[in-house]
Amino acid sequence: MKSAVTTVVTAADAAGRFPSTSDIEAVKGSFDRAAARMQAAEKLAAGIDQVTADAVDAVYGKGSYDQANKDKCARDIHHYLRLINYCLVTGGTGPLDEWGIAGMREVIRAQVLPTAAYIEAFAHIRDRVCVPRDMDQQAAAEFKSLLDYLINALS
Amino acid sequence: MLDAFSRAVVSADAKGAPIGSSELVALRKYVSDANKRIDATLAITQNVSCIAADAVAGMVCENTGMTQPGGNCYPTRRMAACLRDGEIILRYVSYALLAGDPSILDDRCINGLKETYMALGVPTANAVRAIEIMKAATVAIMTETNSGRKMFEGINSGSGAQCREIAAEAASYFDRVINAIS
Repeated sequence: MKSAVTTVVTAADAAGRFPSTSDIEAVKGSFDRAAARMQAAEKLAAGIDQVTADAVDAVYGKGSYDQANKDKCARDIHHYLRLINYCLVTGGTGPLDEWGIAGMREVIRAQVLPTAAYIEAFAHIRDRVCVPRDMDQQAAAEFKSLLDYLINALS
Repeated sequence: MLDAFSRAVVSADAKGAPIGSSELVALRKYVSDANKRIDATLAITQNVSCIAADAVAGMVCENTGMTQPGGNCYPTRRMAACLRDGEIILRYVSYALLAGDPSILDDRCINGLKETYMALGVPTANAVRAIEIMKAATVAIMTETNSGRKMFEGINSGSGAQCREIAAEAASYFDRVINAIS
């Protein structure tokens, strides 16, 4: 699983050397951002069901749709938000890359899923994040950049 | 490999749940202890040759036959292999300590180590003794209970007493290696 620390250690191991000063600087740099990341992860975990429900409502609007479809949409959004929560914890895009994005295109194509709807949902979540009501500035920036990363992968 | 963060992610994913406040308590501690962890890692990396050489010398002194013809550290080529292995174990312990998780030590150092030593005819009791000396030396340097230069001398980042918990974690990684080969 890729994270700031594992990337550095794996590279050091490939070269057969001990963690160097620059390796340790890189690890320290990731720790400096850790407080903001963990705050974002904590707030997201606490509100994940609410955020998912809001996004689904925003996408489906007031029209009447098949509830089964809506439930599946909610399930998927919840799944991606959970992976974003993991990314916020690790400080890298590893969980999204390995469990969310790898193979995503094939699944979307095979199931004829409407990616535009997902993009709209995640864009809605991103635009709705309110500072400081939801989380601090820095935490919101970390959260939004991961949402953008996912939107980019879906586009 | 995993670190403290990705370990939390893997166990949360098995439950299908996001990582919430309760899991974050341990991770926040990992982050707040970062400087101690880094100092402790440096304690290993800056003293590798010394720790490994002392451990192998100690092992030989207790079993003088080892460097005689027929002994396992004779000729010097085999003694050198022994020193090299000591440094490799220290390297993986330093990785595990920095990551706060033993997975890299398990996957890349311990896995198959006993089988390799058996195949090469390395006496595991002696290898265990050398690792025990390395463990004692590492803990002593980190907690500043060593007799030589003190790790925090001249710098204000901390003290040996504050590194006790991290030193215990490092000791547990050495114990993993000892348990795996004995």
